[in-house]
Amino acid sequence: MPVAAPPDTGPVARERGLHVICIRGEQHVMQAARTARQLAERLGFTRNLAYHVATATSELASNLAVHAGGGHVYLRPLAGPDGHPTGLEVIAEDQGPGIVDLTLAMTEGYSTASRLGCGLPGASRLMDEFYIRSTPGQGTHVRAVKWRQAETPEPKRAAT
Amino acid sequence: MSLSLPTFLQARREAMLAEWIEASPGADAETSVSLSTEARNRQMEILFDEIMAPLLVDPPTDFLPGPEEQASLQEHLQAMVTEQARHAANATDPIALLFVLRQVLLDHLAQWPQASAETLAEDTARLTRYFDQITLFTFDSVIRQRDRQISEQSMSLMELSTPVLRLWHQILLLPLVGIIDTGRARQVTDHLLEAIARHEARVTVIDLTGVPIIDTSVAQHIMKTIDAARLLGSRVVLTGISPEGAQTLTKLGIRFGDVTCRASLRAGIAEALLLTGKCIASMEDSGR
Repeated sequence: MPVAAPPDTGPVARERGLHVICIRGEQHVMQAARTARQLAERLGFTRNLAYHVATATSELASNLAVHAGGGHVYLRPLAGPDGHPTGLEVIAEDQGPGIVDLTLAMTEGYSTASRLGCGLPGASRLMDEFYIRSTPGQGTHVRAVKWRQAETPEPKRAAT
Repeated sequence: MSLSLPTFLQARREAMLAEWIEASPGADAETSVSLSTEARNRQMEILFDEIMAPLLVDPPTDFLPGPEEQASLQEHLQAMVTEQARHAANATDPIALLFVLRQVLLDHLAQWPQASAETLAEDTARLTRYFDQITLFTFDSVIRQRDRQISEQSMSLMELSTPVLRLWHQILLLPLVGIIDTGRARQVTDHLLEAIARHEARVTVIDLTGVPIIDTSVAQHIMKTIDAARLLGSRVVLTGISPEGAQTLTKLGIRFGDVTCRASLRAGIAEALLLTGKCIASMEDSGR
């Protein structure tokens, strides 16, 4: 499996059923979003939460298409402590130019491509967990998780 | 006097052609309804002669030229692929057709009186290489044919899905359905602006019921469309954002600012009529 172990995977068992969507251009973004939505609904997410996941996936995927010149989106159900799939993990990975200033990239209204600049911060607000790691010149790795019931009282976020 | 291979193959032409047509996939099926059997056979005969031409050069050459070097062979292979694509369901049919011909040729090659084990192996290898090239070229043609079909279809889908409707005097309706990417957004805006100018529309109702997901890029495209419509003097009423969509948009931090929004298309149309100083009333009321 081509997924490098993301930071802080947490005490969750990995479920089978990884979906890989190769993003080469704008036309693949909706495919990623659609897959995320279907997967979330199959896992028993409410329509609202499924829409959140799909939109966040769409933001991450369109970042891959616009800024990184392509990449991969991995979608996978996560099992909770009881073994039932209760979460959905979205990983967006690219070998693009990377992000020089992550704090700036996570700032509302900042965009290098004259877009709205709320993609990354917006996606992080839509998800329960959000981790981003970027090495300039090597690429960016985003891992985000949405739980079926928003049990996490304080959303975990990290930028390294 | 020894019989050279090209002369031998030339003599066997009729037999091989008949065998090929006999054994070719689709010969007995009803797939070729629109193309008569005669027309199909004639086409196969032309293709047969094109393929055979390099094999009939006397004395035989060591390397048979690939399809890259034979323009007319290319043309006929592509014609065959196009023809097959129109009827047959299987993408492999043109390839299968070539495999059948190769087998027929190899069978006949083995019957050449001058054949020794050595020359047979050599000729078989030569023939196989030749057919490999042709098959690769054909495969490429099949793929390109399909790609062309797909892009044509997506073009026509785009055309289908961007209608600007005249709802009432000075009121336009733009129902957006499906994926809004940069290309479509531009097309939608073009169509809308043209319609606003033509109908002197004062209100445009943009309905988003059919847009599966509104993310920042879709929102940005819609905002640009709204701005452009305003510059032409048309107010915009946005309808059909689902409850999930509304929650997601606020979480994303997107504001549609001072754009008039209505939950349903019905409410949007009522608003549009109001903005143009009209309303829908029941006939009883107006009668009194």
